[in-house]
Amino acid sequence: MNQTTVSARPLAAEPSRARGRWRRYFWGYAFVLPSVAIFLVFLWMPIVKGIVFSFYHVDFVKGNSYVGVDNYKYIFKDPDVWKAVKNTLYYMGLCIVIGFWVPILFAISISELKRFQGFARIAAYLPYVVPVVVLYGLWRWLYDPVGPFNATLSWLGITPINFMTDTRWSMISIVIMETWQQFGSALLIYLAAIMSIPRDWYEAAEIDGAGVWSRIWHVTLPSIRNQIALLFMLQLIGTSQGFQSQFAMLDGGPNNTTLTYALYIVRNAFNNFNYGVASALGVLMFLVLGVLAVIQHRISGRGGNAA
Amino acid sequence: MKTAERGIISAYDLKKPVNRIVYILMVLMIAVMVVSMLYPIAVAFFNGVKSNVEVNTFPPHFLPQEWHFDNYKKGWAYIDLVKYLKNTLLIFAGSMVVTVVLSGLASFSLSKLEWPMRKGVYYFFLSTLFIPPTTYIIPNFINLKDLGMINTYWAFWLPAAANAFYLLLLKSFFDGINQELFESFRVDGASELRCFFQLAFPLSVPIFATLAIFVFSTAWNEWFWPSLVMSGDHYPLATAIKRLVIDARRLETNIRFAILTMVMLPPIVVFLIFQRFIVRGLNVGSIKG
Repeated sequence: MNQTTVSARPLAAEPSRARGRWRRYFWGYAFVLPSVAIFLVFLWMPIVKGIVFSFYHVDFVKGNSYVGVDNYKYIFKDPDVWKAVKNTLYYMGLCIVIGFWVPILFAISISELKRFQGFARIAAYLPYVVPVVVLYGLWRWLYDPVGPFNATLSWLGITPINFMTDTRWSMISIVIMETWQQFGSALLIYLAAIMSIPRDWYEAAEIDGAGVWSRIWHVTLPSIRNQIALLFMLQLIGTSQGFQSQFAMLDGGPNNTTLTYALYIVRNAFNNFNYGVASALGVLMFLVLGVLAVIQHRISGRGGNAA
Repeated sequence: MKTAERGIISAYDLKKPVNRIVYILMVLMIAVMVVSMLYPIAVAFFNGVKSNVEVNTFPPHFLPQEWHFDNYKKGWAYIDLVKYLKNTLLIFAGSMVVTVVLSGLASFSLSKLEWPMRKGVYYFFLSTLFIPPTTYIIPNFINLKDLGMINTYWAFWLPAAANAFYLLLLKSFFDGINQELFESFRVDGASELRCFFQLAFPLSVPIFATLAIFVFSTAWNEWFWPSLVMSGDHYPLATAIKRLVIDARRLETNIRFAILTMVMLPPIVVFLIFQRFIVRGLNVGSIKG
């Protein structure tokens, strides 16, 4: 932080002290005030309203009525909420198992390419540039029972898979699609970190007799440890709120297997018009995620430069 | 980078056959990755020029047997892309102006002006980073409804500046500008407002470019939130595509892909042309103070 001490401003030393001070601070306050107002109205107000609404039955026509903790009682009795929590945890786990290591692996591999490094990097980032709605349309067709994936499977003599409608596959299919689409951005962060490792560290490790694997294990991975930790937390925070792919591709189906917690919030609000219950769900979610966010800030504060 | 700079694997390592095989496998793996990245994009393009019968044959062909470029004409007639694109650009432009002016002024004040309670206000902004947006998505909607902003562009323009990440991005940039520069400007009698618009503003063009990438990709990609806040003719492009093309039941598959290709190609082309600049811009954004 650039704490320039109260810069000597001899010109401001005017006779009336109080007025001088007011004039001196005037612009500081004037510049920051509009943003404070915007943050209050569009961020803090919804947050406070959310807490208030969680104790109300919200009705746009008849007006809101206080219902105490009924919304919370309703949530804890609803079997769907546990299903949604389980699905969200399953989704977060799958994103780690299927997706988290992919950018690390490719970042290390691409950094070793002697030619076409830029090309590989651009190709990996390309899906990130395409609007997600386009990808939904595209992947629905790729996953189709008579689409190219199943054509390949049947050509290999494997029984076709209903990627979207099979309850065992639906969430996995979503995670594969999202990994394909998003790993490029994490890859760029890892790649930048790997490229900034001093080359003579490898030289020294090699002279000391370290093989290729132990160089990766003892030099490369420790050097990008902060990025790994940070992106891990960011992924957990991001995936715990995930619902857009599940909503767009399958609307939470088949048989609620892709109903995530965030999708459950949205569904309560806009299908059942239970805005009070939806607000209460948001408050509960905040309590859990707030803890994660604080941990993430601790890590990024330590990490220095990353995302 | 041009001279043979070593990486993890040295030239000596590659003399060992085991390492050489692993290296070749690694290159193959990258090749497979590149193909799998490009394949779906190519599929969208080729499906867009097939006849509808051919798109629906099993097993599907990769290359079309006949080229039906009139699919684009039909797609163009099916959905008014220009209208929705205009909406997206309108959302982007307004959000950008509001963010640059409001967050710019606030971060300038936090970084370069002296006043009591500055630290407290800084934490006021910072603390909002800890609140996951999905947790207040519903009250946020009701709040905009209460303010009468539903189905107006203000529902995007004003909240765009309520973003602590953008504000801190700008602040860390201003922190890097020499304070004496402003002092000399002030000694010449310039007001703080002129300091900002005539001195800080032009110096901040690189960070505004980074900001523009973030704001643009939000305006370009967001489809769910606009589908709640806006309706019908006011949809941005992404929402319109979702509602009118992806969710459409009676749209022929080849026309669908022709439309998707039309929406997909411009950002890809822009990215390929400016990729050096964009990647650098994203790196500037990734350095947090």
